[in-house]
Amino acid sequence: MMRAVGSIAFAALLLTLLLVPWLAPPALIQFGTTTLLLATLAQSWNIIGGYAGYASFGNSVFYGIGGYGTAIAMVQFGLPFGIGILLGALLAVFFALLLGLPVLRLRGHYFAIATLALAEAMTGVVSNLDIAGRNIGLVLPLRKGDAFFYELSLGLLAVATLTVFWISRSRFGFGLIAIREDEDAAGVMGINTTLYKALAFLLAGFFSALAGGIHAYWITFIDPVSAFDITLNVMMIIMAIFGGAGTIFGPLVGAVLLSSISEILATEITGMASLFFGLVIVVAVVFMPRGLTDLMQRMPGLGWRYFRENLRLHRL
Amino acid sequence: MSLLLQIIVNGILLGGLYSLMALGLALVWGVLNIVNLAHGAFIMLGAYASYYLFTLLNVDPFAALPLCMLVVFACGFVLQRYVLNLIVRAPMFNTLLITFGIDVVLTYLAQIVFSADFRVVNPSYAGANFTLLGTTIPLVRALAFAMAIALTLTVWLVLGHTRLGRAVRACAQNLVAARLYGVEPRTVYALTFAMGAALAGAAGDLYGVVSQINPYIGDPLTAKSFAISIIGGLENPLGVVVGGLFLGILESLTSLYIGSTYTDVASFGVLVLVLITRPRGLLGKTT
Amino acid sequence: MKRLLCYAIAMFALFNHARAEPIITLGASVQETGRLANTGRYYRDGYDLAVRTINERGGVKVGTERYQLALKILDNQSDVNLSVRQYTQLLTQDKVNFLLGPFASDFALADSSASEKYEVPMIEGGGASDQIFSRGYKYIFGTLPVASKYFESTVQAMSKLEPIPKTVALLYADDAFDVAVAKGTRELLQNTGFRITQDERYSSNASDFSTLISQIKAAVPDAVLVAGHETEVLNFIRQAKSLDFSPKLYSFTVGVPTADFRLALGRDGNFAFGMTSWLPSASQKDDYFTNAQMFAEEYKKRFGYEPDYHAASAVADVETFVKAIESAASLDPKKVRDAIARIDFESLYGRVQFSEVGQINLPQTVVQVYSDTVIPIYGPKGFINKPRYPMPPWDKRP
Repeated sequence: MMRAVGSIAFAALLLTLLLVPWLAPPALIQFGTTTLLLATLAQSWNIIGGYAGYASFGNSVFYGIGGYGTAIAMVQFGLPFGIGILLGALLAVFFALLLGLPVLRLRGHYFAIATLALAEAMTGVVSNLDIAGRNIGLVLPLRKGDAFFYELSLGLLAVATLTVFWISRSRFGFGLIAIREDEDAAGVMGINTTLYKALAFLLAGFFSALAGGIHAYWITFIDPVSAFDITLNVMMIIMAIFGGAGTIFGPLVGAVLLSSISEILATEITGMASLFFGLVIVVAVVFMPRGLTDLMQRMPGLGWRYFRENLRLHRL
Repeated sequence: MSLLLQIIVNGILLGGLYSLMALGLALVWGVLNIVNLAHGAFIMLGAYASYYLFTLLNVDPFAALPLCMLVVFACGFVLQRYVLNLIVRAPMFNTLLITFGIDVVLTYLAQIVFSADFRVVNPSYAGANFTLLGTTIPLVRALAFAMAIALTLTVWLVLGHTRLGRAVRACAQNLVAARLYGVEPRTVYALTFAMGAALAGAAGDLYGVVSQINPYIGDPLTAKSFAISIIGGLENPLGVVVGGLFLGILESLTSLYIGSTYTDVASFGVLVLVLITRPRGLLGKTT
Repeated sequence: MKRLLCYAIAMFALFNHARAEPIITLGASVQETGRLANTGRYYRDGYDLAVRTINERGGVKVGTERYQLALKILDNQSDVNLSVRQYTQLLTQDKVNFLLGPFASDFALADSSASEKYEVPMIEGGGASDQIFSRGYKYIFGTLPVASKYFESTVQAMSKLEPIPKTVALLYADDAFDVAVAKGTRELLQNTGFRITQDERYSSNASDFSTLISQIKAAVPDAVLVAGHETEVLNFIRQAKSLDFSPKLYSFTVGVPTADFRLALGRDGNFAFGMTSWLPSASQKDDYFTNAQMFAEEYKKRFGYEPDYHAASAVADVETFVKAIESAASLDPKKVRDAIARIDFESLYGRVQFSEVGQINLPQTVVQVYSDTVIPIYGPKGFINKPRYPMPPWDKRP
């Protein structure tokens, strides 16, 4: 009975989300699209960072590759958006394999640094490519109608979340969790850690690339600095962690919450958004490093001691 | 031929500046295992300190060094003692995130307090230079190079031969044992982090003389310091000097032979390569 | 309780209706914070002073009604993506009537897509790159002179110097504006018979020019032309001094006319050539500010720093909208857009008139800094003052 009610509520929510372009004012549709894309990014990071435990700063690399693939296909070769975004995704997958395999051999913060370095290197490489418009970037063809982008982003998020749902129930997912908890033991138990990690990295890159392609076409502009932006990467990580990394809906919750608060601040007190963002990171990492879902699960029982517990575990 | 020599000399001097910048980051990373993404913000603070000392009180940047270092030392101490100490035993990734957050906050505050106007520190000898073997050597850069060596040696001495240094290394190796020996880790960690910050402040002091200061200079410098620390290796304090020199020369040669827009590709490309093939850096032992 | 509520509502409605004034809102996304804030503030303050002054002088006349101007400025934190979203927000949520532009060509390039998408005219005074105006967009207009012609008056002046410089090194940053400047300058130099010894592109926000300077020094060119940003220009000059590089002449696209430049470099700034499309002279008349000199004084009094051509350009943008709206006698975006395209009037910034693609055509005046003053050297009518040329080596400077 409860499950039936839950399913109906869920379906109603989905339907409302679907109908937003016809129910909401344009600014809300815009905000919605941005949030949906951010949520997709947070969800894709969730696969490699949340489940596999490989904290990657490299999702922005694939986000940028996806965006550039789409832009180059449309601007330099006159191809339609559908083909462009597919090319962007393929390019990202290719690079995920090429760059992922060597980089995934690193552990802990070396992996994180390596992915950071990749993002910086990519920015440098792309800003020297004529076909990518060098440092000036590319201006994409104009497409009117925000509903198109909104629905596309919603669809992408749905697919990404379904993928995470499938991962959470599959052998692949359990393998990733095993890698996260103790990689050597996982290897001893017969899990092909290289394959699993590469696959997780690939999936994360794939979804990030699609999000990048949609964003580029929507904003009608792409340039190296914004395409491979590290701040974007940190944002998606914070959203995933804040909501709860390694859960299905955590990244969504984190993305929606943080996005909303940031948007309200940005319009009311312009410029404060980055201060807010920085403070949220500090507070979240100190007091609730396991995210909102963990907080909501454990706080009813522990009360304020939940925060004290987190501090006690991690402080010097 | 003499152009190539000049470029290499440029590279070495640039490397000296780079080493100076990276020293603080490498110290804190190598010893405390704290990766400080707000490192560049400390450099920026040191730069502003020297700017205000120079413009308001006419203090020469080199004379202002101890003061700038002290100011940033204090900031670093407070930050570590009351904020960063809270997550020292958390997964390393949390440190990356929190220092990123601190970097954002510090940059924002700097913009509010100092405004986005760029500043320069222009003492009379800022453009002085001398000739050696047919190459022109800017005086300030040569001095920065000397300072980098001097400070690196100081760090090496402090870590290896003083009580504080031993306490720091003890904490880094075994926290529980260190406590048993009467070492108070919270203060030791804060002191070490503050030292790293002070070193960043020293670099910032000179930065205003060779370049210009604004609230946003931090991030690219943090990225460079990263590359230098890893390429040189974290286990040996001299690694920073090696890393800095390597990067300085690499960037100068890349600029000469390929093009000046490719310097970032070269630096970060090499960083990735080093991470993949020899993660402990040029001076580190291969596992 | 209910009665009190009704009373309150009635008062509120009455109060509001009595105070209701027809307002025309101009929206802009400007770099108030972030790495471009140093120049972005000229636009924020220029727009503000223009709106204030025009309102004081009676506002805008649309047909028989008088309107007041209002300004809605958002801070894009020097982030292009945010800027694009903000322009869309200004149009769809805040429902501003017309748009004023951001600073910088790459911003104008991206943001003009929003104005084109929603078919609302945008006048920008911060982007000079030809690229902005080469896409066939109908709703973007620019009051900064064409980038490719920035060095035109400098090259002309150079060709009249004695002894004439023979070789030139060209240095440019890799952003939209400077690449456009370099493209045009290259052709200009070649057509005027100069030999280009170096043609080097460098990364925007580069802080180290040692290698470039050493390379240029080895080739010994007579003149060096640099298209870059203010901070890069400063770094270049300071590092040139420390590497003992001193060509006969060097000229920079930005920075030289500003007070910041002279403050930062002191005597090291002497002999540097630059350019400006605007000088605060009393002979440049204006309908709202009397003349350019009075504008400069009022600006300095209100904001505490001297305006430069960025601020004047911003003011011109606001005045253009006012004139266009009055000429069209309507607030319809399409009609106003057509009025802007036809406009022709004198302002404190100069003569405002747009080419077919939407860009203004203003000549640059070559200036030179000496002894903490900006001296106009060469204008459309030839030499104004004698330039100090050639530049003495660093150790022989007075």
